[in-house]
Amino acid sequence: MPPRLRSPNFPSVSSCPSVRPQSIAQPARTARDFSQSSCRQVTQRRRKFYAWLNGPGRALKQPLPGSTNYLGAYDKFGNLVRGTLPEKTPDKPKPKEGEAATQGGAEGEAAAAVEGQESADELEAAVREHEKAERASKKDSDQTLPPETLEDLRPFPLNKFFRSQPVLSEELREAIYQFVVKEGKTVPLASITFGVSNERVGAVVRLKQMEKQWIAQGKTLAMPYSKAVLEMLPTTPYVDTSLSRNAGKRPVVHEPINDLIVHPATRQQLFVPVAESRHFTREDAGKAFDNNLLPADERIPHPELVKVVRDEIAGYSNEERRSLAEQRYRKAAEEKTAAEEAKKFEELQTKRVVPQRRWDFVFQDVSVEDAGRDGRSHNGVGWRYGLPHQDRKKGQVKIPTSVEA
Amino acid sequence: MRKKPRFHSLKKLKVRQDWSRWSLYSISQLRAPNTATKTYFQQKWTAKSDTRAYHGEQIREKKWKRLFRRNLPAVVPMDHRYLARYDGSEQAAGRGAGADSNEKERTPQQTPYMQMAYYPIERRLDTAIFRALFASSVRQARQFVVHGLVRVNGKKMPYPGYMLNPGDMFQVEPSSVMFATGARKERSSTARKVAKEKAAERAKAREENPAPAHNPNQKAEIVATRAEPTPKELKEHMQSLMVDVENVLNEDVGAKDKQKFRAFRQTVRKAVSLWGKATPETVSTLDTQFTFLKDALNARRAALAPEPAEEEATPMMSPEDQKKLSDAFEKLKLEHQHISTWNKRDASAPYATPWRPRDYMTAFAFIPRYLEVNQNVCAAVYLRHPVARPGLAEVPTPFHIETGQLAFNWYLRRR
Repeated sequence: MPPRLRSPNFPSVSSCPSVRPQSIAQPARTARDFSQSSCRQVTQRRRKFYAWLNGPGRALKQPLPGSTNYLGAYDKFGNLVRGTLPEKTPDKPKPKEGEAATQGGAEGEAAAAVEGQESADELEAAVREHEKAERASKKDSDQTLPPETLEDLRPFPLNKFFRSQPVLSEELREAIYQFVVKEGKTVPLASITFGVSNERVGAVVRLKQMEKQWIAQGKTLAMPYSKAVLEMLPTTPYVDTSLSRNAGKRPVVHEPINDLIVHPATRQQLFVPVAESRHFTREDAGKAFDNNLLPADERIPHPELVKVVRDEIAGYSNEERRSLAEQRYRKAAEEKTAAEEAKKFEELQTKRVVPQRRWDFVFQDVSVEDAGRDGRSHNGVGWRYGLPHQDRKKGQVKIPTSVEA
Repeated sequence: MRKKPRFHSLKKLKVRQDWSRWSLYSISQLRAPNTATKTYFQQKWTAKSDTRAYHGEQIREKKWKRLFRRNLPAVVPMDHRYLARYDGSEQAAGRGAGADSNEKERTPQQTPYMQMAYYPIERRLDTAIFRALFASSVRQARQFVVHGLVRVNGKKMPYPGYMLNPGDMFQVEPSSVMFATGARKERSSTARKVAKEKAAERAKAREENPAPAHNPNQKAEIVATRAEPTPKELKEHMQSLMVDVENVLNEDVGAKDKQKFRAFRQTVRKAVSLWGKATPETVSTLDTQFTFLKDALNARRAALAPEPAEEEATPMMSPEDQKKLSDAFEKLKLEHQHISTWNKRDASAPYATPWRPRDYMTAFAFIPRYLEVNQNVCAAVYLRHPVARPGLAEVPTPFHIETGQLAFNWYLRRR
């Protein structure tokens, strides 16, 4: 960018760019006289843009070693907030510690947090705490940045409701894979052990399997990319509790595993008059919204955890609780296999497959009634008179809606 | 014909879904909507136009209108201990809203439903690729899809508008990902000059305070002090691997397996002879390759005839030794990252080599929770639809919550 020329005989430029006239009668210049365009100067907007990029935006150009580097971590002038105020940053996590402690106390005495939810903030604060402890252990070697607060993890400073959440570290992924595939444990158990949701455990195993396959086939992995990206992102570390140096530590919880989906039926506000003497429970409240709505303790992804705690409250010993849990698990597994077999049997009853040279013919029983009363229901099979197919029409979407795995 | 407006205009600042400096600048210049001097319609219009410039700008407005849903998904994290202790009747105690207590209750955080207005767009394949950090902009992601570089569940998917279902795995060609996210190749003469100056500066700095050099001798020393296998030991390990292969070959195995083993033995032999150039990376790859082959063989054998004598016919090293070795490989692999073969200078690559992330990537690098990404194979799984939870919305949007609210209200079509 050439330096901005400003002639002394031209009065000061007005601050508001929209008010400024588009073409200004320019006095004679020594340089670039041949140009007839109205905009000879670098515009104010562009100047501001480059001033920002070379000033506050400069720090965002390159990755910050050993840390995330988001816009939210910097102040207006491009100073790293936690870098400049070393004595202020320890204040932030401290109330969190206090909170966690009070919560721990509350757990014991069973007086209660009324809404009884795991706070996502606390989970992440735990991750940061772990990082802090780790950094403190190697602090003597060199001066490193303090760990990020939740403010520092905001890529969009204006949106207070979004932040960059930690991803699984490579070690944690490997540990989950070993736990599920090598040790043959179930997915829900892995989910509880590592504090990772059920779906994520499945996905991690699937992706890891693919990675191993690639290694076995001798394909090149995108290692430099992977390393760089994981360095830029906040990650959940893996605490191997079997090691002696991690004796007193707990595994770091990655995400809340018992997320209850807000059912559409519960979105409305209801006023249900109830007798004062009535014991109105969660289940009754669900019934008031929708007759088919199950209570929260059965709709969460890990209902078995609730049952275990109930056994504990009922006063069973450790062994009894374990045997009860195993019984429940076995029963559930049996029910599942029975349902699968029943489904298979039914398919065998209704479907007949005639294998041919290239294609198999599949015969299946259908009912005429499927077409509905007016014969126009989409469940009906085959071509029906007066109901033309739409699939050749203009504007019909041909994008597949699902790809089977 | 009217001129097409600039994509990145400084006159009308719009945030776009890409990792450019213009986007970064416009994010830094964003303000909460002006509600004082504008009519409600004007507010909604501005909010809609600003948010649409970011969310699914490549989709036509009519298409987006059909995608729009007024029901926004949300979850509430539950505590299983609380569920076990209480049956919910305590919340209906007293006059119906819970018994009075002296201690102040914590008010639950607000669930930012209004930041979720554009959640159906996050389901699109091109947007998901961008969110998984496989492309530097949604338009680039779209191009990858159209050019056939993207697979969904192992099948080529050429439609950027494909709506991912929970559990779908999508993978992008790693070389394309490296191109999209890597620094640009320097071509111009000024760029070359700048690079040369920088190199000279670095050389000067190095002369002033010499850092520990990266020569192989010193590394070997480091390894020795760490009491881990030296390259010599690695070589021995490789030779033992060879012996293992030969042992397995001597037993009777299927012809196809034998072929595979032979090919493998050839590669090992080559690697042993080329030891000076062989990196620990290749050794570890060979190692895993061998174990993979053997596992496959064992599995087949077990399926054919479960004989206990055959099982222990292929003993490897003890598990502790193996673990130690793999750890050593891992460490050496990291040390080698800038001199090894997989990130070396390569004039034919379409990105700057050795690979490094592109400028301003860190400011945009986040992976939302509804995706699980494995960067090594450039694949990701779409776990579930994005949800709102107390204090957190999973749809990444740079706008203020009021802007989101106004945009949502625009699409409710009661204006």
